[in-house]
Amino acid sequence: METADTVHDRIERAGTELTPTRAALAIGLAAALGFTLMFLQDPMAHDAMHNFRHAAGVTCH
Amino acid sequence: MYDALKRGVGAGAVAGVAYGLFVALVATPAIAFAETFEAGHGHESGIDLVAAAPSVVGGGLFGLLLGAAFGVVYYLFEPALPGATDTRNYLLAAAGFVTVSGAPWLALPPQAPGAEYALGSDARLVIYAGMMALGALACALSALAWRRTEGTATVARAAAALLPFGLVVAAAFFAPTASSSGPIPDGLATAYRGLVVVGQVLLWMTLATAHTWLLDRTAASELTIPRETPH
Repeated sequence: METADTVHDRIERAGTELTPTRAALAIGLAAALGFTLMFLQDPMAHDAMHNFRHAAGVTCH
Repeated sequence: MYDALKRGVGAGAVAGVAYGLFVALVATPAIAFAETFEAGHGHESGIDLVAAAPSVVGGGLFGLLLGAAFGVVYYLFEPALPGATDTRNYLLAAAGFVTVSGAPWLALPPQAPGAEYALGSDARLVIYAGMMALGALACALSALAWRRTEGTATVARAAAALLPFGLVVAAAFFAPTASSSGPIPDGLATAYRGLVVVGQVLLWMTLATAHTWLLDRTAASELTIPRETPH
């Protein structure tokens, strides 16, 4: 991987390779998964993830 | 970009399996033991792996998620990170640890089950998210400080790079304290905290190591001539 370029180049390159829909989809998917794993307070999700959240040190439950 | 995401997911799969094993074999028994101190908890201290299965899967998914994010962030911010490939990977993993766990833990230390919290879950969620943002900001400022002080003594550069983390410590100091009490002995609570910290540190280290390995491998395959020629 070439390292001569800058962060700005990388973001620009990502912008040409990705369509906005795909980027939004990926970010949305990651956010949904992260929220479900770490912060969802729904009793079912809370109980199922109980040990994982304690193991990961997520105190938000 | 897609290659970077693929590498991230690959590294995340390795880290996710390792972390899933940690949840199954280390955290689950420890939590089961801590729960025996909970008042009014009728059930035995036996380890129910079926009930723990969603948590183990959750641990694996957590690794995958962190890996995917790691791959993309590494791709975008690699030029801003100092050092060679492996240094950059471990630095980004350290930044990930500080952002996702380290900074929030300064305000809200990991608790064993059964602990009673002084703050409601909504307030804790806001503090946790705020400390995550502040942790990310401190890491970015740290990288910036290291770059801007180029040419000065290494000690001065290191000091400049460490300075932004004072922001996180100060914020944790002024954040509403979430001290909690519980039926668990102090020694066990401390040991449990250490176990959680070690678990997350190992997760990020596995992620960085697997990612470095995948970077080396994909970079090498782009350069070398395929060994097997089609018949």
